[in-house]
Amino acid sequence: MKHPAVLVIAAVVLLPLAVRPAIASEIWIFAIFGLGLNLLLGYTGLLSFGQATFFGSAAYVAGYLLKYYGIAIVTALGVGVGIGALSALLVGYLCVQRSGLYFIMLTFALNQLFYFIAYQWTSITGGEDGMPGIPRPALLGIDFRQPLAYYVLVSALFLLALWVMKRIVESPLGKILQAIRENEVRAEAVGYNVPRFKLLAFVVGGAFSGFAGVLYAMLFGIVPLEAIGFVFSGNVVFATLIGGSGSLYGPIIGSVVFIWLSESMSVMWARWPLLLGVAFVIIVLFFRGGVVEAWSRIWRFSKRAS
Amino acid sequence: MALLETRELSKSFGALTAVNGVNLRVAAGTLHSIIGPNGAGKTTLFNLLTGQFAPSGGRILFDGRDITGTRAHRIAHLGLARSFQRTNVFPAFTLLDNVWVAAFACSRSWRGLLWKRTDHYAEVSAQARQALSDVALLAKQNQLAREISHGEQRQLELAIALAAGPRVLLLDEPAAGLSPEETRRMVALVRSLKGRYTIVLIEHKMDIIMNVSDRISVMHFGSLIAEGTPAEIQRNPEVRRAYLGGIAA
Repeated sequence: MKHPAVLVIAAVVLLPLAVRPAIASEIWIFAIFGLGLNLLLGYTGLLSFGQATFFGSAAYVAGYLLKYYGIAIVTALGVGVGIGALSALLVGYLCVQRSGLYFIMLTFALNQLFYFIAYQWTSITGGEDGMPGIPRPALLGIDFRQPLAYYVLVSALFLLALWVMKRIVESPLGKILQAIRENEVRAEAVGYNVPRFKLLAFVVGGAFSGFAGVLYAMLFGIVPLEAIGFVFSGNVVFATLIGGSGSLYGPIIGSVVFIWLSESMSVMWARWPLLLGVAFVIIVLFFRGGVVEAWSRIWRFSKRAS
Repeated sequence: MALLETRELSKSFGALTAVNGVNLRVAAGTLHSIIGPNGAGKTTLFNLLTGQFAPSGGRILFDGRDITGTRAHRIAHLGLARSFQRTNVFPAFTLLDNVWVAAFACSRSWRGLLWKRTDHYAEVSAQARQALSDVALLAKQNQLAREISHGEQRQLELAIALAAGPRVLLLDEPAAGLSPEETRRMVALVRSLKGRYTIVLIEHKMDIIMNVSDRISVMHFGSLIAEGTPAEIQRNPEVRRAYLGGIAA
């Protein structure tokens, strides 16, 4: 595990050999979503149960513009980042005023609010039917309707997102957010406006969510209502915890495990979430640091044995 | 002139008046101690000075400027830093990171906040190392705060306050829970800081107070009942009755 970045690049290259390009794309999109959540969950210690708010809002807005105004991919992604950040600013502003359970419930409640707006506003969002017909415009003459071409785009953007997040967590902001997680009172006393920094974490995390949301809409050609629902918010928390929230790479591993399991198992067995539940219980009870911790423990154990 | 001053400062929690009309004047460059029995309102006074609580009445002046009601995170930027009575560090951080975040908070510019690597802030890192070196913990800079001894955590507590490069240090019982040997080391440490900073010290241990203080204020049931040099305080009959009584008798 000395060069995790090399492992990630290897995974990006090899993944389409193991699964269909569409699933491989979904894995990295979900990983971007997880990176954004983990800035809040792992680094700041804030459990947000409303990340789909930013993911879904960005998907709807960019999807609408792609569909009716034929905007370019780059513009769509820019819009997604902007909408993700903006919606996170609104939601975050209300949530950071409270802490603990009240904070979690607020993220959840506001997610429900956005969900029902999308559910009711059928003329725009299509309500329960979702918003279909989202194109994947060509860029620089490359036709992204080819699944593999789109996979290359998604994985390149995923690596970009990972690099940006790595820079952020290694910046003073990353240190300050961890200081807030470690000891909020002391962070305030040494001179940090804690609610303001939590809000900043929300906005950055929201931008990542929005980015992922737009890629998701273009991947499936539709924004399903679920993309803004609380189950989706729960899934990303779930995947991040499986991977390990204590590490930058945890959400990536979590996304691989979660999406791969859900895509492969759901075909075989309709009750597959049961397995996820069992996996989750095992992780919470024995491996609080998720797959990352389990891996490092096995690593240390095998080293001692040899 | 007083660098830090309170005028009729009060704080009530419901029916309880924890701090009652306190007039305190701390002269620049001195070590000013506040003593008093448990529950006298010393820590509450600190919490008022550092913006953790908003006062119910009265004013706080720092360098002639009214800072009453300034929120906690702004206070540090004004040049007032505090240590806590109960160890209050960042447990999963290395010692260096503990002081680094404090040094960064009050550094001149936050440029590169989201982008620059933390080890590329040479000035902040140098200041952080200086703070660790001031409390003799530089050799352990890469250890985690939760893995060092209680005595060392108390030293770290102090280093976090020093890292911001403050003008006034508010030390809340720096020797709380220390062994006699560790206490001696802490006293030497506080003494070495004398003159470099204006220090306000809360302490229970009389020998420390009498040794290092320039001036002493005595607090009793939320009010200041006496102020003077250590010798004056020891002679003051009212103080002997209220506080020293148990020891002197």
